[in-house]
Amino acid sequence: MSSVDADIDALKRLREALTRFRYAQQQVTDRVGSEIETARASLAEKASRCRGELQQRQAELDACRDRAANTTGEESLVDCSGYVRAVAETQQRLEHVQLWQQRVDEEAGAFRGTADGFRALLETDLPRSEAHLAAAIASLEAARGLHGPGS
Amino acid sequence: MPGRPDQDCDHQLSLLGAAWDSAAQHWHDDAARYFDTHHWMPLLSASRSYLEALRKLIAVLDSAERDTGY
Repeated sequence: MSSVDADIDALKRLREALTRFRYAQQQVTDRVGSEIETARASLAEKASRCRGELQQRQAELDACRDRAANTTGEESLVDCSGYVRAVAETQQRLEHVQLWQQRVDEEAGAFRGTADGFRALLETDLPRSEAHLAAAIASLEAARGLHGPGS
Repeated sequence: MPGRPDQDCDHQLSLLGAAWDSAAQHWHDDAARYFDTHHWMPLLSASRSYLEALRKLIAVLDSAERDTGY
């Protein structure tokens, strides 16, 4: 094919690029779904760990308070403030993780709307664009009497 | 090796843009104008919107992981 047919060459490269783009972006959208699930699983595991830790800290605080209630005289000066602080800190961490869980759910939901539209474009509109280009290429080749391989 | 999804999406869009620029230099008939209006521009617009939403999402996922790394 001569340089006169550079337009046909360029259109063929564009059509190939569209096809590669479609497959590559479908893989990207699949991977994003996995990334969302991975993030959710990680946050759920952290929340679960925080709950377990909170339960343990609360039990330690309860035991301290029992000791304080069951002792007399000088022994009654049992200091449970450290346990109180530990419970409060763990509770805060749990709430922090839960807030991130909520935020990730909201953002993933908002993203899904755009992603669904893009996925539909990849699966429906893009093949039409490729077909349109193929027809344009065939038309140009027919007008010039070209019927090369891959046309 | 795949990179971050948003970076891969951006890269693929750049490659496609280069292919379109090359084709547009040679293709100027009515079919080209139709393709530009009815295929290329909607694709470009949707891809950019998707990339923007993807970048935002990935930033949130990264922040969630970083901010809860106890």
